[in-house]
Amino acid sequence: MRKLLARLYGDKSVGSIRAYDAKSPLTQILSVFFVLICALIIVIVLLPVIWVVFAGFKDIRELNRSTSFFPASFDLSSYVKTWGQLHFTEHYINSFIVLIGGVFCAVIFNGLLAYALGILRPPGYKIVFGLVMWTMLIPPTTSVVAQYLNIRSVVETLAGLMNVKSQETLLAVAPLWFIMGANAFWLVLFKQFFEELPKDYIEAATLDGCSDLRVFTHIILPLSKPIMMVVAIFAATAAWSDFLLPHLLLNNSRWSTVMVRLFEFRSAMRVNDTDRLRAVVFSIIPPIIIFSLFQKQITSGIATGGIKG
Amino acid sequence: MKKLICLLLALTMVLGATTIVTAAEADEKIQLTLGNYPPDTDEAMIAAFDVYIENFSKKRPDVEVVPAHYFYALDTIVPMAEAGTLPVIIEPWYTEPQKLIEAGYVRSITELLKERGWDEMINPSIRDLLSKDGEIYGIPRDAYALGMHVNVDLFEQAGLVDENGVPMYPKTWDELVTVGTQIKDATGSAALCLLAQDNAGGWHWSNIAWGFGATLSVDNGDGTFTANLDSPEAIDAMEYIRDLKWEHDLLTADPLTENWGTGFTQVAVGNAAMYIGANDALNQTTVVNGLPLEDFALIPVPAGPGGQYSLNGGTVYMFAANATDEQVDAALDFMISMGRAPEVGAELIEGMGADAKSRMENGEPVVKRFPAWVGQAYSDAEAAIIAPFLNVDMALYQDYFDKVAEAGNLRLEEQGLTQEMYAELTKVMQEVLTNENADIPALMKTADTNYQKLLDDAGIGQ
Amino acid sequence: MPVSQKKNINRAISGWLIMLPTLILFAFYVWEPLLKIIQMSLYNAQGFTLTEFVGLDNYKSLLANPDFTIAWKNTFMYTFWSLIIGFCVPILLALLITETPVFRSLTRVAVYFPNILPGLAVMLIWLFFFKPGNAGVLNNILATVGIKPLTWLSAKGWTIPLIVVTMTWRSAGSTALIYMAGISGINPEQVEAATIDGAGIIRRIFSVILPSLTGLVKVMLILQIISVFQILYEPLMMTNGGPNNASISIMMLVYNYAFLHFDFPKAAAVSVMICIVLSLFTALYFVVSGRRGKE
Repeated sequence: MRKLLARLYGDKSVGSIRAYDAKSPLTQILSVFFVLICALIIVIVLLPVIWVVFAGFKDIRELNRSTSFFPASFDLSSYVKTWGQLHFTEHYINSFIVLIGGVFCAVIFNGLLAYALGILRPPGYKIVFGLVMWTMLIPPTTSVVAQYLNIRSVVETLAGLMNVKSQETLLAVAPLWFIMGANAFWLVLFKQFFEELPKDYIEAATLDGCSDLRVFTHIILPLSKPIMMVVAIFAATAAWSDFLLPHLLLNNSRWSTVMVRLFEFRSAMRVNDTDRLRAVVFSIIPPIIIFSLFQKQITSGIATGGIKG
Repeated sequence: MKKLICLLLALTMVLGATTIVTAAEADEKIQLTLGNYPPDTDEAMIAAFDVYIENFSKKRPDVEVVPAHYFYALDTIVPMAEAGTLPVIIEPWYTEPQKLIEAGYVRSITELLKERGWDEMINPSIRDLLSKDGEIYGIPRDAYALGMHVNVDLFEQAGLVDENGVPMYPKTWDELVTVGTQIKDATGSAALCLLAQDNAGGWHWSNIAWGFGATLSVDNGDGTFTANLDSPEAIDAMEYIRDLKWEHDLLTADPLTENWGTGFTQVAVGNAAMYIGANDALNQTTVVNGLPLEDFALIPVPAGPGGQYSLNGGTVYMFAANATDEQVDAALDFMISMGRAPEVGAELIEGMGADAKSRMENGEPVVKRFPAWVGQAYSDAEAAIIAPFLNVDMALYQDYFDKVAEAGNLRLEEQGLTQEMYAELTKVMQEVLTNENADIPALMKTADTNYQKLLDDAGIGQ
Repeated sequence: MPVSQKKNINRAISGWLIMLPTLILFAFYVWEPLLKIIQMSLYNAQGFTLTEFVGLDNYKSLLANPDFTIAWKNTFMYTFWSLIIGFCVPILLALLITETPVFRSLTRVAVYFPNILPGLAVMLIWLFFFKPGNAGVLNNILATVGIKPLTWLSAKGWTIPLIVVTMTWRSAGSTALIYMAGISGINPEQVEAATIDGAGIIRRIFSVILPSLTGLVKVMLILQIISVFQILYEPLMMTNGGPNNASISIMMLVYNYAFLHFDFPKAAAVSVMICIVLSLFTALYFVVSGRRGKE
């Protein structure tokens, strides 16, 4: 036990416990306890997700009457049926369209402003920063109607100029991209990161006659991959999960996203609880896949990005 | 980066351009956007709409019908109305017209109705709901009356069906306790699914309270209302549901988690034998939640010491504030194609037939609707049209239809600030259903004071 | 001199040009709607069209709303419980994951995992976990150890804490990762020094590790208060504010005024009040983070 612990704690240099503590009985008891708690946490985290996938296999009677965790049968056809009935292929595509544009805007616009506020610091930048910080305090739902009206009037004007119906073109979706570009929290993440970049490097480029914008695209961004990753992940999660404004903007159009659909199912007339749960499963699959692929970058990025925020 | 921006812009342009062509073609025609078009999940109903649109297009080639499914919801109506993006036809329910008229989101159609003579054919009490200052703002789609959805199988297990398989259901709220106890003992299932999660709780409860003789919001006849939630009758009705929960234990596990939708599920899966539900939601228990048609019955709301009432509501068609006369006129013509207009003719009959056929194909009970138009011709026409599609044993529905046809049984929702009143009542229900020793008179007094304050603040209290 | 002055002006212009696109977005999506809300709270309106100036009448008539006081009280209760539950859990998680001999990276990934799930989906799942009666998932689990079904969210006094638990389940992981990074930023020599002074592992946690996290803790505290104060969808979807208003939040009041009653001026008035309260909190944030910067 002691040897095993000593090896497990081998080169540990963070936190409290070190390899040389392995001989203390307290450490031995604690370490067993820690492992058990970790296992419990993993179960608590995964249980709801596993449950919902299983529940999606149940029929409505089974869901409401059966006390078993497992479904009576693992017949995929129920999922296939709900998928088709609720047109999830379209919603997936729409969700990805919203997400990709949103991530792009989140990185570019917040990055640009953070660059100006953190490095260029033109006169008056403090006032701008104060205003931006203040927006963190505004619950987004309070002004959603005013926001919606602003968006509609611009979209309809553009649609009129282009002589198209806004609901049939990407004009309906574009506002959801650009809104990602006005996020105080991500902006602060960028700003903190930029402020710690080596100053001389940037100054050298400026002296070389690079324009400010060129410095941003050719020097700052390449140096900022970790924070871009963090903001991209935050933005992707936000874009995928958001529903109230998308619901207001996209209902009645062909762009309805997965979460809009899920939100509408609350009160939908021809959908029962099993359909709702299957829709939940569909809505969590893409985030899970993306997370599995990038988990290393995500978890380490959050930690480094977050600590400075 | 620039490349990406260009790409995005180009993409927008291209997608925009592809639709320019279609948009330009349609410019000449009157655009009729149908908010009442069925959702994409409802294939049978879409098939019926295809028939309506085809018939309509023959008659009105000058109109382009644009499906624009819009499920009337409180959180979307305002932004859409404010931005002027509502479809021409919307389908709100009976509690909404006055709010929509007040906010200026819908337009008056008085002149267009008068030209057709339809204004005289609307059931007068419903016309009042749709009118303000002598102007009429909509037409009824159909009406409903609350009854109770029944899981016949549970009655059967408790030995409570007659030789024809018709459930021996409770005729009064007192009987509901005895019948319910039998069912509970025999099956372990709840007798009644009572709602207490949201305003629907107060809504259903107000129907129970009428049976005990209560009037909850007194209409003073001059546009003002007086709260009357703490009358002895209302307190009796609240005590009745307390007894259902704490003395007889006849409700589902936790009424506070039950809302309009879960009630149908509880009946369909056999967790509850009865649930207050209307004739326009038969598909909820049967098709959506899977109760076989032969196990489903619709019965009247039980009588109480103060009488027997069925809450009467429904859905109406209203027209966006920015709709033109031409658009509304086309919309009214479309009503005929859908079989929803008061003029009985070949086209109306075909529309009704398509509707009945779609209901049958869906597997929902095809029983008569409640037209909100006056006139025997309409009812007779409908009865004749749906006869071939009859897919249920009418014995399971007959008492309901007989009861609601009796004079004085149907009763419109309480007026005033109805939703606010329901909210207050639901709060009392939640307290009563979670606290065995709740002081009901005191709670009802508080609810009454609160509701009166809201009425006063809105300037319609007295 | 003129050359450098000109240069300065040029730099200022180019700085502002770079800020401009994002500032337009902020103005369009955030500031202008907010100004509209403030203005609206002082007017009567038909729908969204202002009709007449009424001063503070909308604020006054909020007092006639029977839910107004309780909603504020509950919102502070949410904040309180989230400090009790939601605030400690991430710190404990961070310590645990730092110190565990195995499963370190697995647990780290696992605790962050719920963060990426859409909030709405998570709420729907938890609703089924809290379902009353035999078919509820938690009741099923309790049944295996012989405990009778509970009513969970409808049980007096449990509604807000349980909602906070579900929020913590979803969000604790990301905060824990930040604390973990904070812990790994501690100079190992400090720990070694404490060891030489004879401190056991527990003492080291309390005397070295936790004190060096104080700055981070203060900031997370404020951020947590600001975000919990805006709680809306959890009670809206899970309890609709019940039982008997036990979980109605102040943001739900805004939602109900705006989307249930179309009463925008009053929705705006409540919004403005929330903004004022949160501004007070933020003043605190700046005091705290400003002091941290100086340390």
